[in-house]
Amino acid sequence: MPPKATRGVLVQCDESIMAIIRKIDEGRNEFIIEDLDSGTCLVKEGKLAELKRRLKEQLKETVREAEDSESE
Amino acid sequence: MSSTLFDYLQQQPGMAYTRLYRQPSAVLAVLRRMLPHLAKTIVMALLYMPQPILESDLFAWIRPESQVELDESISTLKRLHIVQVVPEPAAPRAYKLSSSFASSLREALTGQGNHRSFGVPCTTRDPNRMTVEDLDGHARRRWEAILYYMVGSTGKGLGQADIISTGTKSLLEVGQFVTIRNERATITKEGFTFLLQEANAQVWSLLIVYLENALALHMEPVEMLSFLFMLGSLELGMDYSTASLTPTQMTMLDDLNNFGLVYRHADDQSRFYPTRLATTLTSDAGALLATSVKSTPSGPVTTAQAAGAGAGKGYIIVETNHRIYAYTSSLLQIAVLDLFARLKMRFPDMVAGKLTKESVQRAINLGITADQIISYLQTHAHPQMYKHAPPVLPPTVVDQIRLWQIQGDRMEANSGFLLANFSNFPEYEDVCRYAESLGVLVWKKDEKRCFFVTRIDQVKDYIAKRRLAAQKDVKSGQRVAPKAPGSVAGSSRT
Repeated sequence: MPPKATRGVLVQCDESIMAIIRKIDEGRNEFIIEDLDSGTCLVKEGKLAELKRRLKEQLKETVREAEDSESE
Repeated sequence: MSSTLFDYLQQQPGMAYTRLYRQPSAVLAVLRRMLPHLAKTIVMALLYMPQPILESDLFAWIRPESQVELDESISTLKRLHIVQVVPEPAAPRAYKLSSSFASSLREALTGQGNHRSFGVPCTTRDPNRMTVEDLDGHARRRWEAILYYMVGSTGKGLGQADIISTGTKSLLEVGQFVTIRNERATITKEGFTFLLQEANAQVWSLLIVYLENALALHMEPVEMLSFLFMLGSLELGMDYSTASLTPTQMTMLDDLNNFGLVYRHADDQSRFYPTRLATTLTSDAGALLATSVKSTPSGPVTTAQAAGAGAGKGYIIVETNHRIYAYTSSLLQIAVLDLFARLKMRFPDMVAGKLTKESVQRAINLGITADQIISYLQTHAHPQMYKHAPPVLPPTVVDQIRLWQIQGDRMEANSGFLLANFSNFPEYEDVCRYAESLGVLVWKKDEKRCFFVTRIDQVKDYIAKRRLAAQKDVKSGQRVAPKAPGSVAGSSRT
């Protein structure tokens, strides 16, 4: 049996973000092909943009970002 | 980059190669442009050889420490259907050049034959003869209009560029260099990668999209490709006859005129002039429009070479307080800066602004990466910036741009292939090391025996070769590697 090659996008991030990604993927399994470790997973090609968008939504709810001023 | 042309060629069926390689100009272009030097050497060695050469004889000729280059060369030559392995199945393995490639290359090198593959110069004199300067001007205007359209600045008050044809517009959209948002073109990540390339690579990127859409445009891809390869062999400043061209190639002339690769008089269908963009298509030194940069303020975005060359090319100064000063009056360059910087002042020969969190994240939202912004700033750094180099850019600014990306994005993503299910650890380790030596390895995890690569072809070849060698060992009963106690098959996954 030759080694298996799977096409996809390797996503590397820190554990807290990975936890959110897992939560987004939970149930419908739309994004993750393979969960590799606490900060790495393989995501379906073409699904990355949507994952990023969903992640951003989640973060907006959970994290209040410090407002950045454009002052000089 | 020629690698995209390589990817395109690789997807073609064997038949397409047979037809393409009938053209001596195409063969010469492939040799010139597509092959690593070692592969060229191998081709030249095999060119006049009447019999296939044994693999062992060929490899004896190459130093053992060049194994990686050798693998790459053989793999490239096989993929492009230039060498064939004979006999099939190979025992013992021997190589020969594919016959159509060999005979066309011999014709090209010795000037035999009655093919018209290197273009047919016009016999009649052109009453409105174009000079090299005219042609450079035409090429630059057309090509810049395309770039300017991509940065989406038309109608932004910066000024008006030439209008580009609807065909070109839809091509840019199909190639995903731009997306249309609210009826306006917006640049994408691919588009920005495109901008960062030097002109020759840009031209090829667009031409690949053009070729890939051939069937939708009712055109014949092989004819298009051989025409492009022919253009690469023409002489700048000469006019060529259209009499020997096929209908597909005549249609192409119109499109290539829009891209700025050729020039045609509106009222004279019998001749065309190749521009510098066309004549340098297949040369490996893509200097192209570089000469014109100095003479006009609105020179095209030339990159790569500008990095080290300094004088006259770099124009951006970045200060540690994130302020940027760009000494340019080129609308195109200003428009590019405007994608990721907040520009505040414009003077006749300079614009000033600042890199802000908002401006950088806006660019990142379009899909442009922090690394692309940094590499753009670095490539176009003003010579003044090199006085204290390295580093050319202030490290605080570079770090901050990256940080802004992480804040906006919070992840690093790479496209490619995950390799898993290796039967034993030595195989995993060896293949992984090979991938690393090729520079395609992104991530690995020893415990799971899996790793991630950005490109897979060569790695696949390597695995197959390794397995074949292992099988032989088993058959002949020699040196069967004793299985390490820990590496029982099937335990690779947890």
